[in-house]
Amino acid sequence: MSERLIKMQIPVILTAIIGLLMIIEFFFPMPAPVTSLNVTLRSFVTIISAAALILGTIVLTIYHSKKIGTRKSEWYYSIVYVLAFVFTAGLGVLDVRNTTFLWIYNNMTSPIGAALYSLTAFYITSAAYRVLRARNWNSAVLLVCALIVLLMLIPIGAILFPPVLPLGTWIRNIPSGAGFRGMIIGTSLGIMGLGVRVFMGRQKEHLGIREERRAPE
Amino acid sequence: MTLIVEGRLVGLLTIVVIAGSIIYYMQRAYSGKIPKLRRLQAVDVIEEILGRCVEMGRPAYYLMDTVTMDNPSVLAPTVAAFQILAHTARRAAHLGSKFFVPVTQGLAYTIASEVVDEAYRAENKQDELKLDETVMYLPDGADRMYIINHMWSDEMAGAFFLGSWYHKAVIFTENAARVGAMMLGGTDTTHNIPFLVAICDYSLIGEELYALGAYVSEDPTVSSSLAGQDIGKFIAALLIVLGSILITLGMSIKGLFSM
Repeated sequence: MSERLIKMQIPVILTAIIGLLMIIEFFFPMPAPVTSLNVTLRSFVTIISAAALILGTIVLTIYHSKKIGTRKSEWYYSIVYVLAFVFTAGLGVLDVRNTTFLWIYNNMTSPIGAALYSLTAFYITSAAYRVLRARNWNSAVLLVCALIVLLMLIPIGAILFPPVLPLGTWIRNIPSGAGFRGMIIGTSLGIMGLGVRVFMGRQKEHLGIREERRAPE
Repeated sequence: MTLIVEGRLVGLLTIVVIAGSIIYYMQRAYSGKIPKLRRLQAVDVIEEILGRCVEMGRPAYYLMDTVTMDNPSVLAPTVAAFQILAHTARRAAHLGSKFFVPVTQGLAYTIASEVVDEAYRAENKQDELKLDETVMYLPDGADRMYIINHMWSDEMAGAFFLGSWYHKAVIFTENAARVGAMMLGGTDTTHNIPFLVAICDYSLIGEELYALGAYVSEDPTVSSSLAGQDIGKFIAALLIVLGSILITLGMSIKGLFSM
């Protein structure tokens, strides 16, 4: 089979057929074999994702091993990665219910993740300070609205200035709600357009496919 | 046995009408009738950011945040982000800008590698590409510290925040702003649009993320599909007005949606 057929036509045809099958199943009552086929196809996503995860991990390990070998900058961090990977993956492969493996996940990976997530609070505060400045009329409106909603949400706000409750609720439900609905309608139309273009095989850059290639200079 | 699953008739009709109008405009473009499209500012911004990176000799970061492609709500913006990545990577290759694409999911990593590799090949600059350093798989969780650390050590001059963005939108954009990078942000995740709009120098709001992918495709039949989407907007506007009038008159239209 030619490279063009394998790399360009088969992925596009498969995308269109499987995508249409899913849409048809959503709108029309289908016989059991078709529904069962669709369930199997959906489970392929998990399998392919798992395979790609292994590939990604292998590539990352090769990258860090090379970095150690060539003594690139900060190569010592790569040693930490390789050792941690070999130790944790080894324990997991031997027995996924191994208590040491679970201990590493529950007491190291999870708390680190939670700690990093909590950074968001500080960055939001810092970002709010940067953004909420009355530089022009637009930002002044944003500042006033943000202050009203903030006062509405904190317990002391309503005690200090009771009108913030109805005002804040109005801002969230009417101008903000209307704006968000408009965005959602636009986004849904954008997704539909993307779907049509992908199913028709007109847009395939996301597959790493670009039909024309510039001739060597 | 019913022909259509109960409650989905209106949805089916909507898809048929909108998809039909998109296909109609694409077919029309084949015969040379190309609709006039507003030029998206983001197209020029991509050039501007990459040009700045070249002038300063510093890298541009292309970040996509959540790329779990088995999640339907993440899949669409991720595919759109890959389409823009194809264009951006090609422009980066053409201009000679350093480029870094960290990805947090295996499947997305393989796609991003392929997209970037193809972009450099298209420019005949594959010799300049170190794929394992340009596209890097960073497991979710480890990515935040690695990216923030490298944003500072690389002194990146430009950043793209496109795709499905959640809480990392604030973490990364705030750091990029402190580093002094020029930023283009765009997402369809409604609760994070405000952060990207407020912090980034330029932004794509909701639908523009999908439109940009079509706009930069260099294929007039693809960009013409955007005119078909506008038909959907007209229908939506008409239905909103009609619905408001009917509700004001005390007539409920809820029954329509259970057909």
